[in-house]
Amino acid sequence: MEPTPTPSVTPPLSLERLASRRLSDRIFYLLCLGIACSSVAILVLLLVAIGYQGASSLTPTFLSSSHDPENPDAAGMYPALVGSLILCLLCALVALPVGVGSAIFLEEFRPRGRALRWVHGFVQLNIANLAGVPSVVYGLLGLTVFVYMFQWFGKLEQNSISGLDLWGVERYYQFLALDERSAIFIPIENPAEPTFQFSESLAGLDGQLRPIQVQAWEPGQRRPLSAEALARTVRVGEIGGVVEIHRWYYFRLPFGPSLLAGSLTLALVILPIIVIASQEALRAVPNSLREAAAGMGATRWQMTQQVTLPAALPGILTGGILAMGRAIGEAAPIFVVLGGNIGKRTGPEHLLDSCVTMPILIFSWADHPVERYRQLAAAAIIVLVVLLLLMNATAIFIRGRR
Amino acid sequence: MSEATSPEIKIDNFDAWYGDFQALQRITATIAPNHVTALIGPSGCGKSTLLKWINRMNDLVPSARCSGTLQIGQLNALDRATDVVALRRRVGMVFQKPNPFPKSIYDNVAFGPRLHFQVNQAELDELVEWSLRKAALWDEVKDRLRKPALSLSGGQQQRLCIARAIAIGPEVLLMDEPCSALDPSSTAKVEDLIYELRANYTIVIVTHNMQQAARCSDTTMFFYQGQVVECGPTQQVFTRPQQRQTEDYVTGKYG
Repeated sequence: MEPTPTPSVTPPLSLERLASRRLSDRIFYLLCLGIACSSVAILVLLLVAIGYQGASSLTPTFLSSSHDPENPDAAGMYPALVGSLILCLLCALVALPVGVGSAIFLEEFRPRGRALRWVHGFVQLNIANLAGVPSVVYGLLGLTVFVYMFQWFGKLEQNSISGLDLWGVERYYQFLALDERSAIFIPIENPAEPTFQFSESLAGLDGQLRPIQVQAWEPGQRRPLSAEALARTVRVGEIGGVVEIHRWYYFRLPFGPSLLAGSLTLALVILPIIVIASQEALRAVPNSLREAAAGMGATRWQMTQQVTLPAALPGILTGGILAMGRAIGEAAPIFVVLGGNIGKRTGPEHLLDSCVTMPILIFSWADHPVERYRQLAAAAIIVLVVLLLLMNATAIFIRGRR
Repeated sequence: MSEATSPEIKIDNFDAWYGDFQALQRITATIAPNHVTALIGPSGCGKSTLLKWINRMNDLVPSARCSGTLQIGQLNALDRATDVVALRRRVGMVFQKPNPFPKSIYDNVAFGPRLHFQVNQAELDELVEWSLRKAALWDEVKDRLRKPALSLSGGQQQRLCIARAIAIGPEVLLMDEPCSALDPSSTAKVEDLIYELRANYTIVIVTHNMQQAARCSDTTMFFYQGQVVECGPTQQVFTRPQQRQTEDYVTGKYG
């Protein structure tokens, strides 16, 4: 054997480097601490600024009234609050089953055949890609697919009969009663006629759609005396236009700029997030449980339904709630699909009703030339943030219970 | 309940692979009914592979394949047409680590019957009690059947897994190192149980523990590098082994 050559240096060397190593360790620690604190500080600063601006506007009236373009002191966010909540709920109702189902296919039903394995890999790759697509792109997709449906059902036009009505719509000629406040509806006999000239007393409906006998009044005659009578009297010669009355179950194709189109679009935005979170939750279920179920003679579906899915449920729900948080704060796709109109005075009343959401309202107010509206935007932001914190707290609670 | 005679397992010219690696070569053996057969051998010798082919658990491993015949009674276990769900109802399995479901003790035992049978609540109660008694666990858990199974000790969990396995009336019980995660006193209880259960089941047990094989098995098969080196009555394999390799292994020279 050759003798080991003697190296020029051998351990131990001097310990002088120890001090400088300690120092660099210390510096790096302080650097990390500083960065962590500064990000929290920026967040706190933001919240304090918003709170300072908006807290005074945060009154019960603010939560129960709607946008008022003339008087900011009477304006509120009720339609947007209700709209956002319903939108978000519908979106979860669509995205959760589809997302969890996809995750189950990807994790639990890994196919063995060559062609299906290719499909599996393709879906998996695309879900990872979709998670990175900007949400405004989903907005455009939603506009084409849900709002216009490729114009398969004709062009969608405002204030005219368009699309394919399925159910829940009635059309009437609308008149203003003599009291100049109440609406009166007369059933349409000839759908081709866009207007109808009122000439004689006939059966119709009042503003609340209760059947009444509509009275005719000729100018020059004595006007009815009671308010109740005024409300069901129409001047002869008045011309009524067609209006649509939508029931709560109103449905037609295409969906138009509606609650349904908006929530389906948002469902697309959060679908990849839900799939990935559910996949991770399923992957975290120990394989020994699957083996135990398989060893008992459970089929793959029985295994999934009775063992894997219940074990993964807390993780799946946590992911779902976080995704809903993302959905409720999303502005861009909603802006594309529903537009930026914030004038609506109520929450959505049927699936195809238009809908105001909190991010759109905040966006419009924050941009407003009148200072007072900008304060309202801050108040609306506080409501949105509180809602998000509540959702995240629920997620943490569910995760902690496991 | 299942006091019927248990089946014989006939293995003939059996090869098994994981991808290109041949885990078992030309295995020919007969596993006798109402016996405890211990499979021993150093790690990677293929004994667990054989066990996992008997109830086709290897179907879950994408790269696993095999050839030859493996008959359980009249049933060809490897036939493509054989329904693994039906096969696994007849061939129960107990795993190395206790793996109760995160459900109650009762629901763990009731899991299999609910999968396979139409039973009413009274029948289910009776079945759960029978299984737990059979697994020598009833007296310890009868007052807390609704408590989570994960609150039991490791040894109790393993006996619960045995109760869960026998609740569907299998004919064969496969055990993959059932005591390796247990302390000595729990091990003793499970071993006693295994020895008693052979009255009703054909039992195949994989073990790394020589004493365990000696204590609770009737027949011992020694595996080395994917082949059966020696197979015989446990007494004989441990005291008068016919092969040099077996002697080296059981006396602790390697492994």
